[in-house]
Amino acid sequence: MRALLALLLTLGFALPAFAQPSPLVARLSSNRVFITTAFTGESLMVFGSTEEPLGPGGDEVVVVARGPSSPFVVRRKVQVLGLWLNGPSARFEDVPTFYAVAGTRPAWRILPEEVRRNLGLGLDALPLDRRSGARSPGFRAALLALKQEAGLWQEDRSTVEVAGSRLFNLLLPLPATVQPGSYRVEVLLVRSRRVVARENLGFTVERVGTAASINEVARERPALYAIVCILLAGLTGWLGSVLFRRS
Amino acid sequence: MQIYLPIAEMSVNAFLLSGIGFVVGWLSGLFGVGGGFLLTPVLMLIGIPSPVAVASGANQTLGASVSGLLAQARRGNVDWVMGSVLVVGGLLGSVAGVQLFAMLSRLGQVDAAVAIFYVVVLGIVGSLMVMESVRAIFRRRAAVPRRLHQHSWAHGLPFKLRFRKSRLYISVIPPLAVGFFIGVLSAVMGVGGGFMLVPAMIYILGMPTAVVIGTSLFQVVCVTASVTFLQALQVGGVDIVLTLLLLVGAVAGAQFGASMGARLRGEETRALLGLLVLGVAGSLLWNLLRLPENLFSMGPAW
Repeated sequence: MRALLALLLTLGFALPAFAQPSPLVARLSSNRVFITTAFTGESLMVFGSTEEPLGPGGDEVVVVARGPSSPFVVRRKVQVLGLWLNGPSARFEDVPTFYAVAGTRPAWRILPEEVRRNLGLGLDALPLDRRSGARSPGFRAALLALKQEAGLWQEDRSTVEVAGSRLFNLLLPLPATVQPGSYRVEVLLVRSRRVVARENLGFTVERVGTAASINEVARERPALYAIVCILLAGLTGWLGSVLFRRS
Repeated sequence: MQIYLPIAEMSVNAFLLSGIGFVVGWLSGLFGVGGGFLLTPVLMLIGIPSPVAVASGANQTLGASVSGLLAQARRGNVDWVMGSVLVVGGLLGSVAGVQLFAMLSRLGQVDAAVAIFYVVVLGIVGSLMVMESVRAIFRRRAAVPRRLHQHSWAHGLPFKLRFRKSRLYISVIPPLAVGFFIGVLSAVMGVGGGFMLVPAMIYILGMPTAVVIGTSLFQVVCVTASVTFLQALQVGGVDIVLTLLLLVGAVAGAQFGASMGARLRGEETRALLGLLVLGVAGSLLWNLLRLPENLFSMGPAW
């Protein structure tokens, strides 16, 4: 893995030398992430090189990754007759199930506020549409907090590391709860507070193997799945009692 | 060893799950109950979403009860006629229960509702068990010969049917009602309901104790199968990987528990079981009453 990365890094570094000069080249360590029965999360590496030196006074790199979107509901507990029950709720449309942003420096320090917001760099720049439900801003804040706690939204969790002033890399940790779907990764090159180049990358998260087939059957053919569950449980119970009988 | 649960969509330690199955199976073998009422709350406690915990708990109880039913049927301890009447009620109850469950999950109240069901049902059953067994311990020496069964209002209803095995000639309405009620509980709580069904059969229907266990297992197997089917179809919470991991532990544990339980039967066992039931109810009540760590929760929108 490490040797392969090094090779890829050198390739990425060497590319501009014989291809036409490009200010920014970036790649992902893998284009597919597989959710298997042994899946406990995975880390992807975003790496690349720039033509001009990176670092203080020079260019900066910002990486942003977005997962598939889906609607989410945030609920607040209230006390009813002494019991804590779910009370008011707010529904948010198009919530990215995964979002991560990181740069050689935080995006808000190297880009004008307006540009940063337009590009959606930073958790406060996420366009979270609240379509129905409670209006309190507390719900939006709670969504941010809960997603960050789950590791599904990350803002400047680590910085983009620079080696030799032209090579950069960032480790993108995906928790075990990532949703399958297609993910977009944008790498932006910032020079004197302007985006001068960008690379659009992507990867997919897929369920494979037993976990995938079980999930697919359960979704597509729930009646068949239910009957198999009933028979399997019955059979296991019966077999187990034969095997473990102690009399 | 971490294993990814395909329906719960989370990664859990496989040995932890089998261990939980073993302990619950051991307790259920010891006390002669299904153990679903212990399993589902424990699953929710380790972070399994409650729809998955309930549906897979019912599925697990099905597996854990099959061997018991076969053993009882071999010994001829099942009243199939009474069992069928109970099952008809139970199937209707499970349909109603799953509808209620699906409605509660749309409203986002499923966690609290399942917990409240547990607190109420386990609180009542646990208190009755403890009181009854304490009374029995004190009265043990002054035992009076009991009648075959007590005649109550339940015996005056219409649609009478003869249940030969149970030596009963009663209306089908009480067993249908008992079956229905247990079916609802089974669907919402993910249990077999044996801990309520057995006393109901003895005290409400007046069945002889010899056929009670076998007949209740017949109802439990049929109703948990129905709950599994409907939950998988309507809520999509049955996680077969979770079920099988729990079952492997449970069937092993049950055998050890049963051989231990044979040496400590009687009122003391029932008092202990009552205390255990009360303990589970108490901890769930405490979870409802104390200030939650996080007032907000999120979930995918329906």
